[in-house]
Amino acid sequence: MNPQPAENIYLPKTAVLDRVADDIAAVKTFFWHFEDAGEQARFKRFQPGQFAQVSLFGVGEFPASLPPSPTEGETFFTIREVGSCSAAMHRLRPGDRFGVRGPYGRGFPMDEYRDKNLVFVAGGIGLIPLRSCIVYAVQHRDHYRQIQVYYGARTPKELMYAADLREWQRTSGVECHLTVDRAGDGWAGHVGVVGSLFKRPGVRVPVEDTIAFVCGPPVMFRFVIRDLKALGFQDRHIVSTLERYMKCGVGKCGHCCIGMAYVCVDGPVFTYEQIHRLGEDI
Amino acid sequence: MKARVIDRADVLKIVDLLRERGYEVAAPFTGRGRDTFFEPVTDENRAKIELHLPNPYYPPKRYVLPPIERLLKVRSGNGELRIEPTCEEPKRAIFGIRSCDVAGIYHLDRFYLGRDYRDPYYEKRRRNLFLVNVVCTDPVRDLGDECFCVCADTGPAARDHFDLQLMDLGDEFLAAAGSPAGEQLFAEPIFKTGTPAHIERRRAILTDVRGRFKTNTSWFSATVRYITRSEVLEKTWEEIGRRCLECGGCTYVCPACTCFTVSDRETGPGEVERVRIWDSCALSGFTRMAGGFNPRRAVHDRRNRRFFRKLAHYFIQRELSMACMGCGRCTAVCHGDVGMASVVEMMRRETAVTEQHEPAAR
Repeated sequence: MNPQPAENIYLPKTAVLDRVADDIAAVKTFFWHFEDAGEQARFKRFQPGQFAQVSLFGVGEFPASLPPSPTEGETFFTIREVGSCSAAMHRLRPGDRFGVRGPYGRGFPMDEYRDKNLVFVAGGIGLIPLRSCIVYAVQHRDHYRQIQVYYGARTPKELMYAADLREWQRTSGVECHLTVDRAGDGWAGHVGVVGSLFKRPGVRVPVEDTIAFVCGPPVMFRFVIRDLKALGFQDRHIVSTLERYMKCGVGKCGHCCIGMAYVCVDGPVFTYEQIHRLGEDI
Repeated sequence: MKARVIDRADVLKIVDLLRERGYEVAAPFTGRGRDTFFEPVTDENRAKIELHLPNPYYPPKRYVLPPIERLLKVRSGNGELRIEPTCEEPKRAIFGIRSCDVAGIYHLDRFYLGRDYRDPYYEKRRRNLFLVNVVCTDPVRDLGDECFCVCADTGPAARDHFDLQLMDLGDEFLAAAGSPAGEQLFAEPIFKTGTPAHIERRRAILTDVRGRFKTNTSWFSATVRYITRSEVLEKTWEEIGRRCLECGGCTYVCPACTCFTVSDRETGPGEVERVRIWDSCALSGFTRMAGGFNPRRAVHDRRNRRFFRKLAHYFIQRELSMACMGCGRCTAVCHGDVGMASVVEMMRRETAVTEQHEPAAR
């Protein structure tokens, strides 16, 4: 047995909440930093697609996607209020302290995708885990060929990260297509499920040398996969990030184990080929 | 492996030696009826330690992985947050641990201390743990109807991963050292050198005991193959799901189960402790996420998960053993008869029927 005491993998480090920004209804973005500057610097080396464990002491700990790109200055989480932990997170005020440990998991291998086309397809809050690699790709767009974002929400009011969407739409070399299930609020854009964007006049989804990132609710996921495969995408060129109930984030608690994979250490990023083999609902 | 011989009357002196060396010693005792349990040895109960008894249902795994274990203590106030890990590092020995449970602890070692992350709580409890394995040799007292270590290849005599192994030869016990710490004990005068006749006697006893297991057709190799190749029929999984009462008992008595949940509880004003608690994949809430989505709803999906995790070749390769030690506890506690031994047989039989291995006659 190793005589060296191992680093305590379950020990969260103290984080300080800087400010809170409202996003869509029930979703807020929490900007924070570690109390310890060294920890902050270490954490900032995360990859797009990795996640962190967030502790609200007395309530519990939960896994949260890392929506910022490592190239951005601030660290933040975007959290929808669904359970007890996220509700406690929503009650935090600037200056409050909580716990964070991570980053964990395997992210998107953005270097491997160099010189490829990147197609991002997101539905609803599925944009949260994809935001990191979209921002990263947009900032490094000379490393990639075409960058396309297809994003859909139920209503115009439920389109997340409005400022980012506007920026991507303005950036040359980046296509950003939006759609909603139900129009209203003076929406003049496309109406329909996110897959229907692929067939719009003027839209050409690259298939050769292309990686498709898909994230969204289970129903959306199934239909987008079908549409992408109809376009000619191979299963191994479609990537996503899985969400599972997790208690530890380091491959020990067993909750996220599906098929041969522990989502926390072997994922959360998987190709559709791998997901298909794991044999469980998305 | 070095071995010595020790008089029957001196065997419990090993417990004394360990206690003198500062170990807290846990040993097996009997209660009423079938009830048996591990408990810390004191001056009062020392004489009641049993060398031969049915293996306690509550596995000694809890000495390295307690059912509830505190991970952190957190104090908050004045805008400060103090997070303090609470690792315990006991010096403990388990006297009378059975071969299946020795294999179980080795399996836990591979799981908690292997791969990318080492579990510091497990590691500290394990570091000073001294294992005195007693080989099951009494066909009436030691061997239960459900015991099937002969099928899992973990017993009746463990081959490694103990510090000291004791085997009842009648008037004497054969003591084998499995580690340098175990071998050090041989300096004590109670240990005497043996003869080839002792080894011969050991061999004869083991041969006899191996033939006395009642559950001996739970052949894992076929089942491991079927599970690994996803050849187990859906109807077999469904049948297992139908029989499972979702009590979680199998996981709580299992010496190789590793899953836990984490929970925070308030212990005082501004004071919280975080604990981990054994959890069970048999329970429907095991995979339920905030918001209610549960990717694994059906009972048979959860059973499928448990047996796949325990027997798939991929995990065997990673942990160097199946996650079943053949202790038979799950069979003993299962009300639906879907303990491991029955499931292994069921899969082997039902899957084999569909195999087209017979050559066509025309």
